Amino acid sequence: MRADLGRRSVLAAAGAAVPLLAAGCKGVGGLGALPRPQPDVAVLRGAISTEQLLIARYRSALAADPGLRGPLGPVLGQHLAHLAALRSRLIGPAATPRPRPPSPPPPAAGPAGLAGTLAGLAAAEQAAAGALVSRLAAASPSLAQLLASISASEASHAVLLRMDRGTR
Amino acid sequence: MTGSADAVTRSALQTALAAVDAASYGYGVAGAHLPAAGRAVAERDWADLQGARDALVSMLAARGGAAPAARDAYQLPFPVRSAAAAVSLAGYLQNRLAAAYLGLVALDDPALRAWGARQAQVCAVRATSWLGRALAFPGLSAAETGPARAAGTRSPGTSSPSASR
Repeated sequence: MRADLGRRSVLAAAGAAVPLLAAGCKGVGGLGALPRPQPDVAVLRGAISTEQLLIARYRSALAADPGLRGPLGPVLGQHLAHLAALRSRLIGPAATPRPRPPSPPPPAAGPAGLAGTLAGLAAAEQAAAGALVSRLAAASPSLAQLLASISASEASHAVLLRMDRGTR
Repeated sequence: MTGSADAVTRSALQTALAAVDAASYGYGVAGAHLPAAGRAVAERDWADLQGARDALVSMLAARGGAAPAARDAYQLPFPVRSAAAAVSLAGYLQNRLAAAYLGLVALDDPALRAWGARQAQVCAVRATSWLGRALAFPGLSAAETGPARAAGTRSPGTSSPSASR
């Protein structure tokens, strides 16, 4: 199943580059060697979307309260590092950027809103960590290690954010 | 599963077990230098390590592998003579354990992969609880976080950036 997903992604991205006309009427066998599919493309796209959504949430929180740059800035930096590492695993046509996910609504202002913001971010980190672990079985060994490490980072962010809540 | 795949699995399990035994020793040293509250947390972490040890020994036995015996003592990364050093050691041990568990995540067995990933998550959470800072890529070296084709090249600089409280 994983190889099929990869093959469809590569064909979708290659579009008219596949030499269908050159094959004549010999059927699939006449197409010659298809480009090798990237087995991890679907898994990577899912993980990239998860990171992009988290990044959008952090940017939204920082836009609403720039005073949060101290605790949130470095965590956002780590998510940017996650995104870069995931993107670096995509090569060729599959690396074509996809539309970003819609921005989350801005968080409420004020102290109660701040606590809610941090709690919301912690919950989002926890959910992202869980989502990554659920994708592991479909990934190659090397990608699985990267995903597991990122999920561990996100679980630890949830702890960090809850520590911050306690000090405010 | 082929014979060589079994050997790879047993080796990864034994590596994780050795890391658990080293961490257990390290926690004993750390606990001796911590105040009561910190010692209680260290004891909880140590008890969880014994649970992980039991699970790893079981998984090894199920695959025809033997559990290597724990050593009497392990070399620590730095001397521990204060509570601050003890806290640093606890965080260090958890990050090292995460790396060993990621060795299980590289296996094909989906159950071992999921177990290893959950253990690595626990390690990162415990490390952050001790140290008050998080890592971008717990358990991975800088070379392992770059493009797959660049694996084997060493990046300049130290480990991944850390975010602090």
